[in-house]
Amino acid sequence: MPTLSFKRITSAWIITILVLFVLAISFGITMRFNQGRDIDISPVTFYSLMTVHGLTMIGIWAVAGMAAVNYLLARYVKVSTSLNVFAFVLTVVGVVILWVVGFIGKFHAGWTFLYPLPFRVAWEEWATLWFLIGLTVLGVGWLVWSVGMIMQILKKYTLGQSFAWQHFTKKHDVAVETPPFILITMVSIIGILISLITAVILLVLFYAEYFSNGTFTNDPLLMKNLTYFFGHTIANEALYLGLATLYELLPEVSGRPKFKTTWYVAVGWNCTMVFVLTAFFHHLYMDFVQPYGFQLVGQFASYFASIPSAAVTIVSVIVLIYGNKIKWSLTNILFFLGLVGWIIGGVGALIDATISNNIILHNTLWVPAHFHTYNVMGNVLFSLAFFVWAANQFAGTDSKNISKAQLVKLSILVIGGFGFVLMFYIAGAYSVPRRYALYPEEFTSAAILASAGAWFALAYLIAILLLLGNIVSKCLKVFSSSQPSPLSH
Amino acid sequence: MFKSIFFFTTLTSLTLSTPLFGQTLPTAGDIYNFSEESKVYTKMIDIPLNTMEGNFHLSDLYAQKPIIMALVFTRCTGICSPFLLQLHDHLRSLDNKRKFSVLVVSFDPKDSLSEMQSLAARFQLQNNKQWIFATTPQIDSLKTAIDFYPTWDSTTAQFDHEALLVGINENGYIGKKLLGMRDERALLSLIKEINNEFVFSYPLPAKNTIFSCFTYDPATGKKKPSLGLLILLLPAIITLSLLLWLGSRKPKLN
Repeated sequence: MPTLSFKRITSAWIITILVLFVLAISFGITMRFNQGRDIDISPVTFYSLMTVHGLTMIGIWAVAGMAAVNYLLARYVKVSTSLNVFAFVLTVVGVVILWVVGFIGKFHAGWTFLYPLPFRVAWEEWATLWFLIGLTVLGVGWLVWSVGMIMQILKKYTLGQSFAWQHFTKKHDVAVETPPFILITMVSIIGILISLITAVILLVLFYAEYFSNGTFTNDPLLMKNLTYFFGHTIANEALYLGLATLYELLPEVSGRPKFKTTWYVAVGWNCTMVFVLTAFFHHLYMDFVQPYGFQLVGQFASYFASIPSAAVTIVSVIVLIYGNKIKWSLTNILFFLGLVGWIIGGVGALIDATISNNIILHNTLWVPAHFHTYNVMGNVLFSLAFFVWAANQFAGTDSKNISKAQLVKLSILVIGGFGFVLMFYIAGAYSVPRRYALYPEEFTSAAILASAGAWFALAYLIAILLLLGNIVSKCLKVFSSSQPSPLSH
Repeated sequence: MFKSIFFFTTLTSLTLSTPLFGQTLPTAGDIYNFSEESKVYTKMIDIPLNTMEGNFHLSDLYAQKPIIMALVFTRCTGICSPFLLQLHDHLRSLDNKRKFSVLVVSFDPKDSLSEMQSLAARFQLQNNKQWIFATTPQIDSLKTAIDFYPTWDSTTAQFDHEALLVGINENGYIGKKLLGMRDERALLSLIKEINNEFVFSYPLPAKNTIFSCFTYDPATGKKKPSLGLLILLLPAIITLSLLLWLGSRKPKLN
């Protein structure tokens, strides 16, 4: 059972993430309006916004997943409040550094900061080093947090049990049952740990070149491999953390029995853990020096990483919902919509991960289309579902059937969110390039689609603001409370 | 049948062993230096030049305008003519407003100034102020300065040489070299370089790049896995070791 201090730190995470989310959305909308020529910002401002937007979004939704699973882990294992606070403090410090670097230092190498861009100083001299320091602070905080959570799980479960290996057999009488939540959390946190260790190696290589005065040079291909090993993996594992909360909470808030770990659930998630680590090669299809075998690994790992987890989750959710009377609340509708967004974005991703398609789609808006779909309409909704559920827990209120006002908010969210990504998909299908501050006139529909996308995003932002008020006010109650709420587990 | 086998074996052996009878055939690496990077950013030697407009030093020319230097010889039956023709066509279609001169220098000591003038006339360039046709008495120094080593083939009575353009900026430094028959884009990047404009480039692996993913062997044209690939494996190895260590401790609650 989470202590009051654990609730407070979780509450602090939720409020901080939501505030940063609103600001980061507004940066995104500004960029799309600029591409639509509705406003006029300088290219440097555009790329600074793009850098801060990307970094913030990837960062906050990774830690949103970690904060959520850390809170829910308290149901199964002993969790550490001080570790959580440590990660929170370092996250805030890291974000502040990166925002200062982006907005005051005008650093604008993109959130992927592909080598050697950070060393092509087109901003304040100090910004490159402080950018690396900002990333280091975040990396240290999350690395320690990840290791801490793994240690907490392994204090109760053996290594094999934490991966549900005892469920690989079709026998039902296993000695210790691994809850799906523990399995998915373990699989995802391992992935996050690997991605963070990759980030540490990447940063060490950046620092080595930065301080070597030209005596040490990095290999661009190695740096790109490391960057996407880190970036692709953390973005995907963040999504799986959202799925872990879905597995834990969806049956509960729907009034259905908990999910069980079956052999196919265990096999599916273990496959995902292995394959997601090699799928990043699909980011290097255009790097002709990378051997073709690696590109094939990227393509097939992309299929094998997503299909088992998606198939298992879809089957599990259909079995949960189909033919059963479900108590539909804001929480489980958000989970369900998130699942839909994840699947649509996943299909878009698989289309792009296929080599023959990627030749056409690689640097088009199809890429932001698919990753915005499974984040904006997938992972964000998983985390929002947890936030709504947790806020009710903190305030001591029960999750009620969805109200008409909530339905209106959700409708705006769905129209805004899917409309926003649809504009990206259409532009991508028309080969409109990504990462352009302004489109050349030859792309006749690009500006119109950008402008329409910005308006849809604005609707999405309004819906988020409408949902946010209720969540934040309930989360704030936990700071004035001295007693555990009666509904908390 | 045995006659046929004997004839075939003898013919094959003779064909395969032909190089053994003479001296060892030189490899491509012995004849050519294919590096476009050699001598780049070094100061050009100030050679004397004989032109129809008079005798100058190279520094007199590059002090006025950056120079694109092309190396040919007048009796060339190989690449020289198509090379100059393509250069002329590319420069005309680029319609470039940037300032530069084209200096065509003979690397054949037998070439005279009048023969170079005839060469200019063949391309209708004798009255084009941008083009300068010249000879120099310091051919060897010129060749060393730009790493250009044509070899005389007595059988064909021709120099075996590559098509080379050397870009020299107004300070006399070699900004860029282009080997072979290159497209307009490459030529434009050379013109930009000698006009001190920013040209995008991508660093090539150097000796201080110790963590390359692959090493390329130009002799075989094959890539071999290198140290960088091991670094890619490190995160998984570290995590696995950590897990095995943590997992080796007995859980409390089972």
